[in-house]
Amino acid sequence: MSADLIVDTQIRVWVFLPIVVITFLVGIIRHYVSILLSSQKKVETQQFQDSQLILRSRLLRENAKYIPKAAFLSRRQVFNREEDGYLTQQRPAVTSSMMTDPSMMTDMVKGNLTNVLPMIVVGGWINWMFSGFITTKVPFPLTLRFKSMLQRGIELNHLDASWVSSASWYFLNVFGLRSIYALVLGENNAADQSRQMQDQMSGAAMAMPPDPKVAFKAEWEALEIVDHQWALADIESKLIGEEKVKTE
Amino acid sequence: MGAQKSDVEQLRYWRENNDRKSREVLDIWLNGLWLKVNSLGNEKFLVLEQVCLAALDCHIPNVAETCIESLSQSFPSSLRVRKLHAMYFEAKEDFGTATDILNSIIKADETNSAARKRKVAVLKAQGRTVDAIKELTDYLKIFMADVEAWQELAELYISEQDFSKAAFCVEELILHNPHNHLLHQRYADIKYTIGGLENLETARSYYSQALKINPKNMRALYGLYLTSSALSTSAKCSSQRKKEAAKLVEWSLKEIKKRYSEANLMVTALAALEI
Repeated sequence: MSADLIVDTQIRVWVFLPIVVITFLVGIIRHYVSILLSSQKKVETQQFQDSQLILRSRLLRENAKYIPKAAFLSRRQVFNREEDGYLTQQRPAVTSSMMTDPSMMTDMVKGNLTNVLPMIVVGGWINWMFSGFITTKVPFPLTLRFKSMLQRGIELNHLDASWVSSASWYFLNVFGLRSIYALVLGENNAADQSRQMQDQMSGAAMAMPPDPKVAFKAEWEALEIVDHQWALADIESKLIGEEKVKTE
Repeated sequence: MGAQKSDVEQLRYWRENNDRKSREVLDIWLNGLWLKVNSLGNEKFLVLEQVCLAALDCHIPNVAETCIESLSQSFPSSLRVRKLHAMYFEAKEDFGTATDILNSIIKADETNSAARKRKVAVLKAQGRTVDAIKELTDYLKIFMADVEAWQELAELYISEQDFSKAAFCVEELILHNPHNHLLHQRYADIKYTIGGLENLETARSYYSQALKINPKNMRALYGLYLTSSALSTSAKCSSQRKKEAAKLVEWSLKEIKKRYSEANLMVTALAALEI
């Protein structure tokens, strides 16, 4: 491609910049709408208790050597007792409560409302409104494979791959504005669509709270194999011995 | 304006470091900050909360009351403000009302640990230690990893002279924070108080551990001396053990003397120990 394309400056003013502004503003609006819609996540006492339980058992495992053997054994007994130890107690399955809990459903609807709907509406609108423009050019040569990525909506075989079409420019903006949002709205904002999309990809399974049974089982096993070595067994002679070396 | 800015920064600094400094906070507030609090923007409410707590500490209820009033105007349904309200009644020793408010908070939000802890504090303030212990154990069944609660429970058990349970709590504290010499010393104190050969030996080990972590721990040094001298004269101890204990007695006494000579104090005061 020796003959360079010259892009009309009107395109810059009426296509290139509007797309940036629109995606940015939509992100901001999404942020505030999701704040409006978000319901305070209620942490179940049970869930809280489980996490604290696991924390405590982990600490017991790691620092067991600092307490006397009897103390350690009695604690392990409480955690790992066969019938109703903390880690072996029977729990109703988590999934059943998920399905019956109506707040879960509303949460999902709200999530879709703020994530998927604007994506479809704004994306479709931009595709319809600004279709078929070449908006900009990336300042480096690219191979033909990038054509489908950067030139969505333009089917021209002879066009250099470094030109970017309007639809693709929109997508670049959606994914690229993350740091700008972080700058404007602070960390952990809800404006960033790309993260939400990642969440959705991996999220189907993750949305459920992790089953405590699995974590309990692992913790139970780990606790079961801890071999208690009292760190203080020989501490007196160590104390004196050390001092002797120092003073002599 | 400049003075106000540094005042606000000072308050923020204390807030972030969890410094209580109630008297100082109240001074800043009364020295003019209360006139300008509306110009602070969003930080206003944090400052109000801080000042409210400080006022309760210093028992100046009218300041606390104005703070709570303006907070509850901004956040009529906030649980955090309701907790302050409860604390206000607590400071006025109206424990029944305080407990009612706290119960309503817990009902609204079961995981509100602050309200549950306040309830224990109310019981403790009323002198109902046994009830406080019961409440606190219920709390700890849910919030098992709350170090402060374990510590408080240990104190309560000690005040009830239920030492073996206090020892359990301190063990829990040691698990959470194994490199704090004061905890080891506290554990040894408790074991020494329980008495008996085995407990004395445990106490001796923990005094030694406390000394090892912090060689300047004088109380642990004295504890080591006391436990080992008790062991060296104990009838149930084997002669081998007694010999070891005697060695420890000698060593700890020497150390204590050294400390005192370093501190340029009267050594004669120690003569009483050498019996």
